[in-house]
Amino acid sequence: MRTRHSKHLVRALSVAAAAAMVLAPATASYAAPTGVHAADSSTPPSDKSDAKTLRIATSGFVDSFNPFTSIYLLPTNTLRYTYEFLVQNSQEDGSPTKGLADKWETSDGGKVWTFTLQDGLKWSDGEPITSDDVAFTYQSMIDDPALGVANGGLVANVDTIETPDEKTVVLNMKAPQAPNPGVEIPIVPKHVWEKIDSPAEHPNDKDVVGSGPFLLESYKANQFITLKANKDFWRGAPKIDRIQYIYYTNSDAQVQALRSGDVDMVTGLTATQFDALKDVEGIETHSGQGRRYAAISINVGLKTRDGQAYGNGNPALQDAAVRQAIRLGTDTDTLLDKVLGGYGVPATSFVPASYPKWTLPAEDEVIMDFDPEAAKKKLDEAGWVAGADGIRAKDGKPLSLRLFVDSTSITEQSQAEYFVPWMKEIGIDVKVEATDTDTITAETTKGNYDMYFSGWSQGADPDYQLGINTCMNLPTGTDGSGGTSQDGWCDPEFDKLYEEQHTELDQDKREKIVREMLRMNYEATPQIATWYANSLEAYRSDRFEGFSLQPKNEGIIANQSGYWGYLTVAPVSDEAAAAADGPNVGLIVTGVVIGVLVIGGIVFVMMRRRNSADVE
Amino acid sequence: MSDAMPATEAVIIEEQGEARPRGVPALTYALTKIGGALISLAMVIILGFFAFKILPGDPAAAMARDRPMTPEQIQQLREQMGLDKPLWQQFGDYLVNVFTLNFGESYVYKESVASLIGQYFWNTILLTGTVAIIAIALGLWLGQKAGWMHGSLFDKVTTGTSLVLWSVPTFWLGLILLMVFGGTLRWFPTGGMVSPNPPDDVIGQILDVVSHMVLPVITMVAVVYAQYVMVMRASVMEEKSADYLVTARAKGLRDDLVRSRHAVPNALLPAVTLVFMHIGGLIAGAVTVETVFSWPGLGKLTFEAIQGPDLPLLQGTFVVFSAIIIVMNLAADFIYRWLDPRVRRA
Repeated sequence: MRTRHSKHLVRALSVAAAAAMVLAPATASYAAPTGVHAADSSTPPSDKSDAKTLRIATSGFVDSFNPFTSIYLLPTNTLRYTYEFLVQNSQEDGSPTKGLADKWETSDGGKVWTFTLQDGLKWSDGEPITSDDVAFTYQSMIDDPALGVANGGLVANVDTIETPDEKTVVLNMKAPQAPNPGVEIPIVPKHVWEKIDSPAEHPNDKDVVGSGPFLLESYKANQFITLKANKDFWRGAPKIDRIQYIYYTNSDAQVQALRSGDVDMVTGLTATQFDALKDVEGIETHSGQGRRYAAISINVGLKTRDGQAYGNGNPALQDAAVRQAIRLGTDTDTLLDKVLGGYGVPATSFVPASYPKWTLPAEDEVIMDFDPEAAKKKLDEAGWVAGADGIRAKDGKPLSLRLFVDSTSITEQSQAEYFVPWMKEIGIDVKVEATDTDTITAETTKGNYDMYFSGWSQGADPDYQLGINTCMNLPTGTDGSGGTSQDGWCDPEFDKLYEEQHTELDQDKREKIVREMLRMNYEATPQIATWYANSLEAYRSDRFEGFSLQPKNEGIIANQSGYWGYLTVAPVSDEAAAAADGPNVGLIVTGVVIGVLVIGGIVFVMMRRRNSADVE
Repeated sequence: MSDAMPATEAVIIEEQGEARPRGVPALTYALTKIGGALISLAMVIILGFFAFKILPGDPAAAMARDRPMTPEQIQQLREQMGLDKPLWQQFGDYLVNVFTLNFGESYVYKESVASLIGQYFWNTILLTGTVAIIAIALGLWLGQKAGWMHGSLFDKVTTGTSLVLWSVPTFWLGLILLMVFGGTLRWFPTGGMVSPNPPDDVIGQILDVVSHMVLPVITMVAVVYAQYVMVMRASVMEEKSADYLVTARAKGLRDDLVRSRHAVPNALLPAVTLVFMHIGGLIAGAVTVETVFSWPGLGKLTFEAIQGPDLPLLQGTFVVFSAIIIVMNLAADFIYRWLDPRVRRA
């Protein structure tokens, strides 16, 4: 009997041992495949309390660091630092300013753009930057659609490119255009990229040759991105040596990492997180004007480019008066205050206030303030009569609308909680349909909606956003394919103005036309712009100071449409930074824990032996 | 799929053979179990394709969401992702790929899914392996003691504590530990697996990784060890009144030796099976802990693939997670049969 039990014990233990053997190599092999040093042996080891390394928490996706194909925010931001544009977006307000080119002029009514490069520009490997590099970059995107994935839209209007000399680039456009064709296109070094066999697949994550303030040094997917300062950057070397993006999947963990000093900066905070960090010593919070608008998009009755109706939107919304009534009945100020904690600017149109040149001013005569009585009057005039339950009806049909709400978005849910009663107040019954983002995207593309929450991030030039409100960008298919339309609204008058501003080289005149267009869109009300949310950021002010904002007043630090944020940032002082770090308690505790476990294990085994010895 | 036929036959044979006194021969037993596992795996592979295909939305449009892109650019993306091909052709490509252990290229990472999973797999094994060893050792030890001392204060405290922790949400517990020991006390790192600038020496690097492991391991162990406690406890309690223990006591053996030499080995049988069945689930359960602590493993990879949405990567992790669970269940079947003669004789 006893032997059989022992045999079972031996078997059970040998199973456990086998399991341990399977797991053991995994434990041992962590250092080789995953250690950063293995992947990046060229980097000199830097001290943990490196005062000149700015560590930023991120959860952003990286598709690649290929300037031709990368479309996610984090890598495209990195590319802004790595490759200078022909023309840069200024820090003040995003308007075109000196980049690789210090002069540019238009002729033939905006059909020919001539750029003159600065003197003495060099790539980070010492080679001169010439007009050949610019022509190579633009021509590659035009010739190969696979290289046009990221920025192909920006060169769609370029016909031919000439380089009369090393410093001059002439872009001959197919049609005249006012927006500068030199912005937002990262110029790559021809001598590097012409040697790459399939450039569209090139990951471009090591030995990067660039021209911007920071160059990619190393990348470890889902762990770190390290950028090093380009000492030869033409505006002067940055004051820090490195920017290091550190991955945190969870935004609450990012906040904890900032508190503990594991990172120096976090972005994209919620109002609650932001408020919680406000009074923490050594941390500075910053609320800056973002470049994104949020809106409630209304189904105006979707049509394809050749006039075929599609989708199942409520026909009542095809009447502009009904849409205006919804606008009048929506208190966007309260939404901003209650839902966003006040961290934002009330919106007027789809051009955010961070581009003051283009945005529609809040005091413009078309702006309608929150006024439920006026809303009711508008609905009365449109023939919608309130029934016994307060819900309006026309020809026996009640005014009942659906509102899509992203069930993962607390912001959308709380907006709906305010919006639904407001609508009821003016006699509109709103039914909330909560579902996931992908379903909302799919259904709204097909036109199967009445209202949903939408929004876009904006570039410095409003041309693109205006363009997707024109009739020529409506979809071609009744499934919503073949076009990019902001709200499915279009008006031939608006299109005429679009063409005008698109070729108007006089800035002042162009601004006036753009405002006029925004007014038209406002009155037609295909959407109710609710707010321009602020970007909520926080950083370790005991380690770094001197961040630059864009726009210069009340702007943001991270995710600018430029590279200004980290260009001027400097360590507070070496001593302060070193002092902030202190001894690594975690390592000490870990060491002690391991020690205790090992000693405890030995003692346990010894006692066992003795016990056994007693019996046998 | 070709193996599936004999396997189903084997199932029938086994069912018919139940009445036979000699029991199921080892080979038939093995073929039955392996066949069943292969069928499950085939189902998983097929489901892995269609489950993600019926998800609403166009991945290309989702990636281009919120970006100024022309329809031509989005079409280009769609072609790169192979979404322009008819469904049957995509399915064919997928099947061919799966049998060469290739799940295509991730939409987001622009890298082969197989190599991504290869990179992250060992990180998950390191984390969950440590958790498994600690949780099993702790759970079984506490469980057998509690079972033996059934009704005592020790039993009540052990059972109570483990059940309370068992019902705590992993996410919540992880965040609390992170806030207290990461953010406030600064004892442990707030996320990741290695420091951005790790020490140069090997010992330092090992300690660095270990210090990153402490919080996620504690979180996961706290939540999962209860199941081992409960099984072991019940198992020991059942054995406690068995005749052979009376005999053992009658021989004059000390109580703790009766427990450790006689009761525990027998009580271990159901526990070991359960352990193996749970290891698979443990790896899949790492999703939450890896997400809270930004641990670069398969769980975090899956979490990010869902956000993408990155269909090839989701398919890949789905098949890998399912395969691990199937293999572990298969292992549990074999081990139980090997350990317990009653299964062989039955």
